[in-house]
Amino acid sequence: MRKVLLITLSVFALTTQADYLPASHNWNDGSVDPFVVAISAAQNDYSKALAAAMAWRDTGSMIDKAKDLHKAGKVDEATELAKKAHNQAVSSLAQIELAKSAGPRF
Amino acid sequence: MKKLITIVLGLGLMIGAASAVEVDVEADRKAFVKYFNNVFPNVEFADYTNGVYAIDEGSREQFEDILDGIPPYEENVEKGEAEFEKYGMGDCAEFKDLSTARINYPYFDEKSQQVVTLEGDIKKCYNQQTGKKMANMKGRITRISAYISNQAAGQKINVKVESEGAKKAYAKGKAFFYAKRGQFNMSCADCHVYNTGKKARADILSPALGHTTHVPMYRAKWAGMGTLHRRYGGCLKNMRAKPLFAQSEEYRNMELFHQAMSNGLEITDARYRK
Repeated sequence: MRKVLLITLSVFALTTQADYLPASHNWNDGSVDPFVVAISAAQNDYSKALAAAMAWRDTGSMIDKAKDLHKAGKVDEATELAKKAHNQAVSSLAQIELAKSAGPRF
Repeated sequence: MKKLITIVLGLGLMIGAASAVEVDVEADRKAFVKYFNNVFPNVEFADYTNGVYAIDEGSREQFEDILDGIPPYEENVEKGEAEFEKYGMGDCAEFKDLSTARINYPYFDEKSQQVVTLEGDIKKCYNQQTGKKMANMKGRITRISAYISNQAAGQKINVKVESEGAKKAYAKGKAFFYAKRGQFNMSCADCHVYNTGKKARADILSPALGHTTHVPMYRAKWAGMGTLHRRYGGCLKNMRAKPLFAQSEEYRNMELFHQAMSNGLEITDARYRK
């Protein structure tokens, strides 16, 4: 019974930890790929902005370009662009909140 | 027990009343017109049907020169008539009486709980008649729409917003018009209300009042015809916002608001803009 309990708890602990780490997690040094973090955040927030019809014009193409740069091995440039795209998406989400009280100023 | 029922019913009525959308289209329109009257006291209400040409004399002269010659939209309107006949679009119930067709739009359809636009019904009718789809923003749809709209030239825009559903759609359209969006954090109103008459690069910003009297239109910038929704998309791009699909719910709702603000203005067949 004690063995079963130990195994169950170990599996649970590992599974929980795995949920918090992206697939690209480097198990050797414990770091997280900054590009994956930035591009995932950008894509996630851009999807929310699109759903609210509040996306910005260039965010989608910035995300695509960042992916292309990453594929081409230009990791730093790709990460920088993914961060910019994420900043755009965050700003567009802020506009959703402000739009709720939009109306004429006269 | 009787008291309890009364209280519950009373509360129910209060909640119902609170959830109803507070919309007063006529009050909105009057405030809209009053705003433009204050900014341009010398412009007659009826002249807003001429858009930017009502507020800028230099542009007006060019406009009149173009109208005096052979306006570039005329050929498109003629083609539109031929296409209307070719596809038997007069067989569709919506277009049996062309003298009233244009002024019926946009309207709120209670069955679908959606705003219906002239171009939306042209697409539907074309599909019924040919089994084919029609593009949304330019080409055939603009030619047929211009031909239908020309039959209503001189009639006044009279958009009705009466039911609860219509009021909700109108309120959403109004919010879209005034909401800031895109990288430039601008609203439609920022250009076409608050800064009307001022310049954005080389162009003079046109008043939103009267915008819908001459659509679809020929724009020199496009070197062709385009629908109102094509123009919406262009404006959003200029604000660095992602344009939506023409005939999307958001654009249709905004069209309901936008056209209602021009209630009382005549539809014109002078379809040229810079």
